[in-house]
Amino acid sequence: MAEGPVNTPGIMRAVPSGASLTADIEMVARCRRGDSIAWRGLYDRYAPVVYRFLSAFGVPGEDREDACQEVFVAVYRSLSRFRGEARLSTWIYRIAARHAGRIARRRKVRTLLSTLLVREPPPPPAPDASERSERLQLLDEMVSKLSPKKRLVLVLFEIEGVPIEEVAKIAGCPENTAWSRLHYARAELMAMAKRRGGG
Amino acid sequence: MTPQHRWPDGPDEVSAELRRALDEAALRGPDDMTLRRGWSAVAMPLEPPRARRSFWFAGGVATTAALVALGAFWLRPRLGELAQLAVRDKPAAQSESAAPGPRRLTLEGGVEAVLGRSSVMRLEDGAPRIEGGEVRFSVPHRQPGHPFVVRAEGYRVVVVGTRFGVNVDGRAGATDGRKAVGVDVDEGIVEVWEAATQRRLARLTPGESWQSPDVDAESPTPPAAVDPAPAPSGPSPTIPAPARDLRHGGKHAAARTLALASPGDGFSERATTTEKSAPEAVAARAALAAGDAPRALQLYRTLAQGTGPSAENASYEIGKVLSEKMGQPQAAVTAWRRYRAAHPDGILRIEADVSIIETLARTGDADEALPEANEFLRRHPDSERRAEIARLAGDLYRAHGDCRRAVTTYQIALGAVRPRDAVEAANFHRADCLVRLGDAGGVDAARAYLRAYPNGKFRSEAAALASGAAPRP
Repeated sequence: MAEGPVNTPGIMRAVPSGASLTADIEMVARCRRGDSIAWRGLYDRYAPVVYRFLSAFGVPGEDREDACQEVFVAVYRSLSRFRGEARLSTWIYRIAARHAGRIARRRKVRTLLSTLLVREPPPPPAPDASERSERLQLLDEMVSKLSPKKRLVLVLFEIEGVPIEEVAKIAGCPENTAWSRLHYARAELMAMAKRRGGG
Repeated sequence: MTPQHRWPDGPDEVSAELRRALDEAALRGPDDMTLRRGWSAVAMPLEPPRARRSFWFAGGVATTAALVALGAFWLRPRLGELAQLAVRDKPAAQSESAAPGPRRLTLEGGVEAVLGRSSVMRLEDGAPRIEGGEVRFSVPHRQPGHPFVVRAEGYRVVVVGTRFGVNVDGRAGATDGRKAVGVDVDEGIVEVWEAATQRRLARLTPGESWQSPDVDAESPTPPAAVDPAPAPSGPSPTIPAPARDLRHGGKHAAARTLALASPGDGFSERATTTEKSAPEAVAARAALAAGDAPRALQLYRTLAQGTGPSAENASYEIGKVLSEKMGQPQAAVTAWRRYRAAHPDGILRIEADVSIIETLARTGDADEALPEANEFLRRHPDSERRAEIARLAGDLYRAHGDCRRAVTTYQIALGAVRPRDAVEAANFHRADCLVRLGDAGGVDAARAYLRAYPNGKFRSEAAALASGAAPRP
């Protein structure tokens, strides 16, 4: 992962800054020793990132807050398994991605069950009242149409600003596969955008 | 930055829009309250590292046994407490013999709750929900990220560390079957949020109160089975009678009469025994209620020389009195800056920052307001006030004719979790600035505004921009 925030003009990317691998290991070690300040520091640094990632990945607004908390509970429970082989952010993204996938599957199962039992299916995710930007809503809609694998790579690389080698680690695939998924995700997204833009 | 991060880099409008959308997505984030709620949920006491895997079974058995014992120990006193809280009080005639007067409970985190005779409070996952009557709380100072939340009907009252009361009145205003809710604050800052929409409805400072919209705030509506108290008739500025401490002689005095019972029911006397408000603070609030701002200022200044939360509150209140009651905005700004210097991480820090920016903007001092606003945006990336400040900064830049910077700051407002007003204004003014800059996206932005706000405040101006009738540079 890049050493600092990845910038495009006017935009500060989401990657938490200044966290070297040594600092990550030290922070996790302190958390494991029961240092509540370190745990708070970890939460402060990564909660906005996790929340943003879940938003971009398509976790609906009503589930997002709970999902974010679940991610941190999972992080907390897994602290002893962090060995410092990857960056802490990579490790947390991986947990968050697993949770986001689980939520999507849960929603799909609920919809399916509702259909089978001829009950009213759960309502589609309502547009988040706090994110009224039309552009953002359109983007979310288009991103949600990508397959989960492509969506993960696109969100991490294009929105979260995570370098491709870290994306590959999070997605659990070789770097070339990550590039390939990104390529197709971009192409699909652009095609959708052009259709919507009448182009 | 890698070259790949410039995707899509095509010159066409679709690519540009997509790029802007991705940039916006990169800017979004949770608001302060969401983060605080999240922290409350995950701020579990950390345990030492887990036992090695080879010992997991033994560890598991031991842990289970310990948990069972702990659970039994924990539940035993609480079962009684929960039952007591969940059972609706008997009518006054019966409860007088069974449990006369208010009940005082100590909740998690040292929070003291004083329940009136007719009050019903439930604990849901440790958080109180008030179903009827009045409950007054005294909340010790909380760590950032550990707000104390009280639920009442469709509202959430969020507290950082303060004294306040929540009243749920089944007889007032209930047009849709919901009970009326009132909140009043003795000390600190309390926020009232609508639970359904996650929208902040009010931010109350000491002496202020809030009433749910169903109720006519001017009609005193005492809680059931609690004798109505007479409206306070100008509390003495110098003799802070204890019973008045909770009665608040501020600008919503009429509404506040519902916050207290008459001395006869024992609630006032009991409640006042828990009241630890500094006498100067009580006297200052009384002085303000009596219209004696200089006296209040003097009292707050005395109090601010001390230490602790009361001194911190007083330090902030000095600025408020100077600004709102004495018409001295410059002095108010100086006072808030002094507060900031003395309490750089104080619980009212954001409030002080916002007050400074708003006061400077109101007095037309854009040269001072803009650096303050920019510093705020830099310092508080996740504040729920971010959109307001970004929008204000955008307005100031626009007033200076600096549309380029205005667009950037409006963009920040749009990227933040924000109140509807701020986002609507930011949407329109951003479109306006883009048109002035000759940016082709301006007309589209105006059209998007009209689609999003067909009855918006700026619809006629936006229509002019969208039709190309508005003057361009």
